[in-house]
Amino acid sequence: MAAARALSAFEEALAKRAGGLAPSRAQAFDGFIRNGFPNRRTEGWRWSDFRAALGDAAASPAPIHQAAAPLADDLAGLMPIEIRIVNGRIDMRAEKLPDGLRCGVIDAGGGVLELSDHPVATLNAAMTKKSVGIEVAKDTVLAPPIVIRHINDGAGFSFAQTMMRLGERARATVIETFEGAGAAFHSHVFLLALKEGAHFDRAIFSETGPDAIIHSLFASRIEAGATFAMTALSSGARLCRHETLAQVAGAGARVDIATAALLGGDRHNDFTSAIGFHAEGAEARQRHKGVAKEKARNVFQGKFRVLRGAQKTDARMNADALLLSDTSESNAKPELEIYADDVQCAHGSTSGALDERALFYMRQRGLSESAARAMLIEAFVGSTFDAVSHPGIEQAFRHRVAAWLEGV
Amino acid sequence: MLKIDNLHVAVGGHEILKGLTLEVPAGEVHAIMGPNGSGKSTLSYAVAGRENYDATEGAVTLNGEGVLGLDPNERAARGLFLSFQHPMEIPGVATMNFIRTALNAQRKARGEAEVSAADFLKLIRAKAKIVGLSDEKLKRPFNVGFSGGEKKRMEMLQMAIFEPRFAIMDETDSGLDIDALKMVGEVVNSLRAPSRGFLVITHYQRLLDYIKPDRVHVLAGGRIVKSGGPELAKVLEESGYEQFIEAA
Repeated sequence: MAAARALSAFEEALAKRAGGLAPSRAQAFDGFIRNGFPNRRTEGWRWSDFRAALGDAAASPAPIHQAAAPLADDLAGLMPIEIRIVNGRIDMRAEKLPDGLRCGVIDAGGGVLELSDHPVATLNAAMTKKSVGIEVAKDTVLAPPIVIRHINDGAGFSFAQTMMRLGERARATVIETFEGAGAAFHSHVFLLALKEGAHFDRAIFSETGPDAIIHSLFASRIEAGATFAMTALSSGARLCRHETLAQVAGAGARVDIATAALLGGDRHNDFTSAIGFHAEGAEARQRHKGVAKEKARNVFQGKFRVLRGAQKTDARMNADALLLSDTSESNAKPELEIYADDVQCAHGSTSGALDERALFYMRQRGLSESAARAMLIEAFVGSTFDAVSHPGIEQAFRHRVAAWLEGV
Repeated sequence: MLKIDNLHVAVGGHEILKGLTLEVPAGEVHAIMGPNGSGKSTLSYAVAGRENYDATEGAVTLNGEGVLGLDPNERAARGLFLSFQHPMEIPGVATMNFIRTALNAQRKARGEAEVSAADFLKLIRAKAKIVGLSDEKLKRPFNVGFSGGEKKRMEMLQMAIFEPRFAIMDETDSGLDIDALKMVGEVVNSLRAPSRGFLVITHYQRLLDYIKPDRVHVLAGGRIVKSGGPELAKVLEESGYEQFIEAA
C-alpha cells in the first residue's frame, strides 16, 4: 500500500510540474495524462502491466545476492567509452575521445520521432531535461564500443534519454547495461538516426535485481544501405520491457535482431518490437529465445509492417520458448502486416520443455542431471550470440549465460 | 559381472519384463535375440536407468553392486554404457565438447584425473578414424544431419572413447551396411577383455558373424525363454521365433 501511495504522490507531483514545462514537454505530458501508465487493457501491453507493477512496487529494494562474476568485469576488458546513468543522473567523465566522435550532455529532444502516442515515451519526454548526445561523424569507424550503464540502486522513478546520430557510412557499437539492486522505475528512451550506409551494432545486458521496473525504448530511422544489428540478453525484473521500434526508410537496409531471456523466480521480461518497412529491398532477421523457470514469465511481441513501397522485402521472425517448470509462462505474438505484393515474409513460434530423451541420453553418457540441463539450455539460447560481430562482446554474452546456468 | 535376477519392469502401468534372469560373466559377449515387442529395449533402458522404466521387482548388479537405485550418470561412471537403438540429434550441442565433458564427468566421479583438451583431441581423432567419422562430422552439433548409419558410428565412437566395463548394444546393427557392420565388429573385438562384458541385442544373426557371442538368449514375453551357444542364433535365423513365443 505504501508503494501505491508513492505512485499517486508521484502522479500528483507530475500534475504540479506540468504548468512549468517547455511546450514540447508540456505536450508530451498531456499525452501521458491522456493514457496514464500502460496496463493490461492498453493495446500491446496486455502481458506487461506497468500500472499494476508500479502499484505493487517495493518501497525499498530487498538486498540481492551479488553475482559471483559481476557484469562490469566482463565489460571492462572491452575497453569501452563509458557513460553512466546512475539513478537517472548522467555521469560522463570528460576524456579524450577518438576522432570523429562527439559525446556530451545536451538538451533533451522530446518529439524527435513520432512517439506522441507511446504511453511511456510521453512521460519520459515530459520528465527528461537533459539527454546523452552522441554523434559519430560520417565515414568514421569507431573501434571501441560505447557503453551506457544504467545503474539503479534506490527506489522511486528515474528517466533518461540518449540521442545518437551515426553519419553516412560510419560504424559504431553501443552496449547498454541495466544494473543495480534498486526497486526503481527506470525509463530510458534511445533515439538513433542511422544515415546512409552506416552500420550500428547494439548490445543489451539487462541484469537488474528482482525488484526493478524497467522500460527501455529504442527508436531508429534506418536510411538506405544501413545496417542495424541488435543482440540482447535479459534476466528480467519485477517488470522489464525492452522495446525496439525501427523505421526502414531507405532501400537495401538490413536489420538483425536476436534476443534471449533467461528468467527465474517471479521475474518478467518482455521483448517487444515493431519494424516498419517503407523502402525496397530490405532484409530482416529476427529471433527470440526465452527460457523461464519457477514462476517467471517470458513475453515476446514482434511485428513486421511492410508498406506498399517496400517491394522485395525479405523478413523472417522466429520466437521459441523453453519452459522449465509447470508454473512458468510464455506469451508470444509474432505479427506480419503486409501491404506490398512482392515480398518474402515468414514468422514462427514454438514453446516446449526440455527434451527428456536428450536428457536421458546425456546422463547415460555421464553428465549429471544439472549439467545435462545446463548444456541443453545453453544449446537452446546459444545461437542468439552467433552473429555478434565483436568477439569480446560475444564472449561476454556467453559468459553471462554460463553464470546464469550455474543456478539452474 | 552383470547379473539380472528376476527383473520385473513396468512402463506406463504395463508390465513388460516379467521376471527376467540373466548373467553375463566378465570377459564374455552375450547376445539377446527376440521378436518385436518382447522387451529388448525395455531391458536396456531399465538397466541404464531411464525414467519411467521402473523395476517393480528383482535386482540388477554390476560386479556385485546394485545399480537400480543409482542415477543414470552414476551407472555410467561405474562403467555401464548403452549404445542406443535410436540415437538422437542434439542441436546446438557441440559434439566434441559434449563427449569430453561426459568423459571427464565419468572420470571425476571415479576419482580419476581429467583428460586435457589436447589429449582428448588426439584420442577422439584416433577413434574417429576407426569408426569412419570425418573431422567435419565431429565439428557438427551432436548427430545433427547424420544418417542413421553415421549415428551408429557415433555410438561406437563413444564406446571406444569411454572404454566401458559393460556395454549394452541395442540393435546397433539395424540400418547398417556391411562395411559398417564390420566396423562395429572391429570396435567390439578390440575392446574385448577379460574384465569387460557385452550384451548385444539384435534381430538378426548377421551381426554375430562379426561379433562371436559366447551365449545367445531368446527373449520373448518379457522373459528369457531359451539360452544356448552361438548355434542358437542360426537356428533362430532359419526357423524364426514362433516356437519360443508359444513357449513364453
